[in-house]
Amino acid sequence: MYSLSGRTAIAGIGATEFSKDSGRSELRLAADAVFAALDDAGVAPAEVDGLVTFTQDANDEIAVARETGIGELTFFSRVPYGGGAACGTVLQAAMAVATGAASTVVCYRAFNERSGSRFGRPSTGLGAEPSSLGAEMSWHVPHGLVTPAAWVAMVARRYMHAYGATSEDFGRVAVAMRRHAATNPAAWFHGRPITLEEHQRSRWIVEPLHLLDCCQESDGAVALVVTSAERARDLRHRPAVVTGAVQGSGAGQMMMTGFYRGDMTGLPEMGVVARGLWEMSGLAPADVQTAILYDHFTPFVLLQLEELGFCARGEARDLVAGGGIELDGGLPVNPHGGQLGEAYIHGMNGIAEAVRQIRGTAANQVTGVHNVLVTAGTGVPTSALVLSTP
Amino acid sequence: MGTPPGAAGSGAVPPTRPAQAELPELRIELTPTTVVSTALATMDFTPVHHDPAAARAQGAPEIFLNILTTMGLVERYVTDWAGPRARIRGIDVRLGVPAYAGDTLVLRGTVTARDGGEVTVAVHGAVSIGDHATGTVRLTMPG
Amino acid sequence: MTTVEPAVHRRLAELAERRIELGETRGLPAADPVNLPMIRHWAEAMGDTNPAYTDEEFAAAGPHGEIVAPPAMIQVWTMPGRGGGRPAPTPIDDVLAALDEAGFTGVVATDCRQTYHRYLRLGERPVPGTRLSGMTGPKTTALGLGYFVTWVITWYVADEPVAEMMFRVLKFRPPERGPAAAARDPYPLRPAVGRDTAFFWEGVRQGELRIQKCAGCGTLRHPPGPVCPSCRSTERAHVVASGRGEVFSYVVHHAPPVPGLATPFVVAVVQLPEGVRIVGNVVECEPAKVEIGMPVRVTFREMDDEFVLPVWSPAES
Repeated sequence: MYSLSGRTAIAGIGATEFSKDSGRSELRLAADAVFAALDDAGVAPAEVDGLVTFTQDANDEIAVARETGIGELTFFSRVPYGGGAACGTVLQAAMAVATGAASTVVCYRAFNERSGSRFGRPSTGLGAEPSSLGAEMSWHVPHGLVTPAAWVAMVARRYMHAYGATSEDFGRVAVAMRRHAATNPAAWFHGRPITLEEHQRSRWIVEPLHLLDCCQESDGAVALVVTSAERARDLRHRPAVVTGAVQGSGAGQMMMTGFYRGDMTGLPEMGVVARGLWEMSGLAPADVQTAILYDHFTPFVLLQLEELGFCARGEARDLVAGGGIELDGGLPVNPHGGQLGEAYIHGMNGIAEAVRQIRGTAANQVTGVHNVLVTAGTGVPTSALVLSTP
Repeated sequence: MGTPPGAAGSGAVPPTRPAQAELPELRIELTPTTVVSTALATMDFTPVHHDPAAARAQGAPEIFLNILTTMGLVERYVTDWAGPRARIRGIDVRLGVPAYAGDTLVLRGTVTARDGGEVTVAVHGAVSIGDHATGTVRLTMPG
Repeated sequence: MTTVEPAVHRRLAELAERRIELGETRGLPAADPVNLPMIRHWAEAMGDTNPAYTDEEFAAAGPHGEIVAPPAMIQVWTMPGRGGGRPAPTPIDDVLAALDEAGFTGVVATDCRQTYHRYLRLGERPVPGTRLSGMTGPKTTALGLGYFVTWVITWYVADEPVAEMMFRVLKFRPPERGPAAAARDPYPLRPAVGRDTAFFWEGVRQGELRIQKCAGCGTLRHPPGPVCPSCRSTERAHVVASGRGEVFSYVVHHAPPVPGLATPFVVAVVQLPEGVRIVGNVVECEPAKVEIGMPVRVTFREMDDEFVLPVWSPAES
């Protein structure tokens, strides 16, 4: 059977600085990140023939191509569902390269999420949109269930009830991410760790979530260069080979409001992703040396550890409390500090970190890395990657 | 004068007494013109049947059919099927959700009793939001 | 308010009793005799092509031997029209006014039963006679607490009864309104109401919590959609939920501020005994006292002068 595994690689990564106010347009941010990624790979703009971004990105592929001197495109595509798109952009790029639709594809995400349009603001208008998403949101907006924190909190509360998890269990995730970010110079929270007590004292956003359960908001951009594994070998850096790339949507899926299915204690779409990822890569959780787990809100890090098979249902809090996700733990999670600590670039900065871990150039380098797992936005249709050394 | 409501779907009047138990379905597009013209033809000048602002002020999204028209459409539905020689003896309707302009009224009927020429038809008029009128029509059909 | 004060009920019942005893009151005869122009106007508006009403040639040879009026037009002839004249008083007027005064200001017609003794001919001028036939209540209905008022109109030509109509309305106390009935700011958190969801919001306005039911296979579904995923049927019906439920999960929203709602507020996923879940606010309960498994009951809250939202309050288990 044909497999996508091993055919393509990420050959270049680039990013802007991560800030709270970039001072420039989102298109400029996109162009800056694309240039950085191409220079990192040693690829000229004219060699790029494909672009992939998020459905939510405000910068059209053609606009990015114009600004960066990328000439003709033979492939352009977008991936929906907010941060769930992150790893999906690499899947799209890998498929394009593997099928010959394009030879060199750049994936990008650029926004002024903190200084411009903030996702944490109430989405009160969503319910009135004449679309299927508007219809979905119409069952939630009138009741004031209008923020990502609230949507996540609803599942988190049920999870706590089912397994006895506590706010402190969520807090330990935040503390670990901030500890990792503290030693990552690129992180917004570089040098600024927190304690569990500070987490517990931080104000409520939507109970059971405290402020420090919620990731920061950032301005910035990240771009990735995807090409064939063969070509990547001849470029500047050690390639991060795409051994697994999948998307997943669960039965009865909704956009962050999966309250009507199952027992509401898991992330069914991440379960779909996990099955596909292990099958495509031929790997198992024990084969992964470090994982980049999407951490917009702390509770879903626990749920992901369970869905991906790193522990049994309800036991993630024990894994975390035992130091399992620390840099010296059994599965270091988000060595860069994640979105809680480094920056919130919709998961794309996590993919860049996975590439650095494969190259051996990360600020908080995990030793003996051969395979890195990366996930994308949770609670929405999502995606994931396994990147490996050649 | 525009096309009367449902004219396209009503089909020809059957010349003789039909034997089937199911009446053909009749769909009536409830255009604002239909709602207003029937309200005025039944001498009903209540604003909610012709003035959208008045209807909205009462919490309705649109103007809606008046009851005299509901009764008229039920009668028309049955006589379209039974033919001009039938005599309507009575109409008994339970009223449900409003039939708003912009919606479609779908009338369905079933013969539930037949005793010589005395016939009872169960009629069900539905709009998109539920049952608008449910009831029976009693009539005498020529032998 | 869920009950009627005994004194108020007694006053209403006694008034109804007296008006029933009054029997029938004749009204004014039809302003115009039964006539072809009004019949044709009616028939065209209804899309009724029955030649018995408008085709003299057919009518002459038809079962009536002449033009007759559509029987369902009976009430049309004695409608008050726009003339500005005050309609003649009937025994119903006082009863409806007394119900309004007692707070039963909502009205919805529930039944209309017409009996036609014979068809009317051109030139005839029917006279209505109205009598109150009953008032029952108070009854708890989906719309609120109310009284059913039933009256009968008989139309006479000379003294021959030609048709009768039994008409029943529900006079109800609308869902609780704020202290001031003055216009309020529109509630900003509006749903998109479309073809697939209008039945739900229409139900809410009537005090019903409706769950979509597939008319093909009977599957219940919430949130609703246009097609049944079990059997592909597009025939949609609904059931009215019992109104009971249990908190399945919940959140307490503190920040950021949400327009239209005062923080903190509680939003829950409520498990209904009918088998579906629905999202709604938990009210009349301190946020700290809300817990998973808590029994709740639906009520309907006017968020502004137009928009009603189903909300949940604690219930006895």
